[in-house]
Amino acid sequence: VKANSEEEINKLQLLETLEHLQLDFWLHPSNPALPVDIRVPFPSLQSVKVFLESHHIEYSILLEDLQVDKSTSLMQMVNNQRRERDTSNFNYGAYHPLESIYAALDGLAAEYPSLVSKQEIGKSYEKRPMYILKFSTGGTNRPAIWLDAGIHSREWITQATALWTAQKIASEYGNNPSITSLLNRMDIFLLVVTNPDGYAFTHTNNRMWRKTRSKNSGSLCIGVDPNRNWDAGFGGPGASTNPCSESYHGPSANSEVEVKNVVNFIKSHGKIKAFLTLHSYSQLLLFPFGYKCTKPADYNELDTVGKAAASALASLYGTTYKVGTICSTIYQASGGSIDWSYDYGIKYSFAFELRDTGRYGFLLPASQIIPTAEETWLGLLKIMEHVRDNQS
Amino acid sequence: MQRRSAARLGPLLLLLLLPVAWGAGPEPPRADGELQVSSRLAGQAARVALHYLNYRLGSPSALRALGQVRKATVKTIPGIGHKYYLQFTTEDYKSSQNVGTCLATVLYLKRKPRPAVNINCTYTKDQKQTREDDYSFYKKLRQQTKPITGNDIPDSYGHIEPALEPAWALAVAGSSYLMWEKSTENLGYFMAQVKNVKQWITKDDSIDFDYLVILHEIPTQEMISCHLRVIWTPGHPLKVKYFCLSENQQSESEEGSGTESGSTNGIFNEEEANF
Repeated sequence: VKANSEEEINKLQLLETLEHLQLDFWLHPSNPALPVDIRVPFPSLQSVKVFLESHHIEYSILLEDLQVDKSTSLMQMVNNQRRERDTSNFNYGAYHPLESIYAALDGLAAEYPSLVSKQEIGKSYEKRPMYILKFSTGGTNRPAIWLDAGIHSREWITQATALWTAQKIASEYGNNPSITSLLNRMDIFLLVVTNPDGYAFTHTNNRMWRKTRSKNSGSLCIGVDPNRNWDAGFGGPGASTNPCSESYHGPSANSEVEVKNVVNFIKSHGKIKAFLTLHSYSQLLLFPFGYKCTKPADYNELDTVGKAAASALASLYGTTYKVGTICSTIYQASGGSIDWSYDYGIKYSFAFELRDTGRYGFLLPASQIIPTAEETWLGLLKIMEHVRDNQS
Repeated sequence: MQRRSAARLGPLLLLLLLPVAWGAGPEPPRADGELQVSSRLAGQAARVALHYLNYRLGSPSALRALGQVRKATVKTIPGIGHKYYLQFTTEDYKSSQNVGTCLATVLYLKRKPRPAVNINCTYTKDQKQTREDDYSFYKKLRQQTKPITGNDIPDSYGHIEPALEPAWALAVAGSSYLMWEKSTENLGYFMAQVKNVKQWITKDDSIDFDYLVILHEIPTQEMISCHLRVIWTPGHPLKVKYFCLSENQQSESEEGSGTESGSTNGIFNEEEANF
């Protein structure tokens, strides 16, 4: 059952209270973003259909006539059906909890098996898996583009945008000549939730949580700012030495397993040509450096590409982005990911700060997810095309 | 207190002839001159000017957000501080429509307390309309027999319950006072969320709200919790009191009663505060 509003959720909750129907709610009505699954005994079927239809509540039948097959467990059957249902019906215009995002990754890999595969690059501090999606049309160890989101867990628009982007890349291959030619030569790796512990925490405890959830020895305060933890000017200005601070850099570079997992992956791959990362908010397109306030050697090229990307982004809905180095545009900050990737040799290192400019900030309304993802896609594509065409 | 007008552009033109000596990063500029409009310090100063404007206007229907910075210059006043000269566009807080341009100066004093702001804006929205909108806000809130209460506005998903919009708008207006006072050349603020709101039904004709707001502090990234008390009567200066809880420092308002005079009709002309 798909509720589209709080009102419909309330109606479903009412349905739940009607005990004589003996309904078994497998997924309870809570949030309009999530489906509600109900097992309906045959005698109640008519009443339930009438109830839903009279209140104009969308529903579909997942499994008709539930009789447990000897070879397949009940849960397996349901999960398979759900997966199928969920890929085609997954609501990219809503914010989802971690489990739903992970289910969507599986859904994409299942829906586009010749293009998309899911890999685990390691576990988080609290032992959650970190999954990347690999987009590849073949070859062996092709040069690749890296894109990550959600390193700061409260920046919800980034995970949502990354997920939409995954679906976009998968569906555009074969349809969009640009992305098709890119994927014929290069691979794309996408890490939708870089900080899964933090993300889970923003759902259960504190919507404004930014850092990882690692324990700090000698302190009651938890977590390290994962974007101050990279080996680039580590411990320099713009990062805090205080474990209670939101920009605490941690005891040492790569102390955070989430960061270490990405570093290991990039290093062992050996052919990453672009390192792109999503943050929010402020509407900025940034390139190195952050740890020092001098221009990178490739300043002119990065600035040109950045401006072209910002222009492409703005062409859709008029959303304006400022382009520049981290230090001059936002603030000096050491230990950042794109500074590390650039110094490591990955020339095309960019960070996006997505919508908005402060009205809603981290609490960007879900209605802006798809427009944000659509415009960001144009910017990303511009950068990726340049990378494709400038391979050394 | 003198009335300043747009004739302030004189010194601004002179400064534009100075060589640009920018390159020290986003710390307070060591050299005077023109700033890149995309620089953080320019945007930050413009925002401070807008916090002040939004507070002084005290009108939930006329709240403005920063559009684009068109021009920014900074000058060192020896022994006093840094003075920013700014030109920027503004947008309606709710609709994001362009509603006019502002010229402002923001003086960050070496000794606190707060930045001194002088701001002049054009306003393209129909002022009669905003006055009417304020009055319908006001009437709706006065008609409450049960005090409005709420949590998490916007909620985690960015949603604001329509019934709570007026309370939220008043929180933005009240927070503007708080953010103006707390801002320094390097520390800027955004109102991230209203954690809690409680209305006091009063016997007089004022609207009275108690808030717990969360501010987002840049560049530290800290989330600061502040208690805010806002007392509003349309057409009168906003009365704001606050108390912020913070790890290292606490900040508290003086009686922010807006007792300095200010007009809210026509093109906004404001006297420089406290300087």
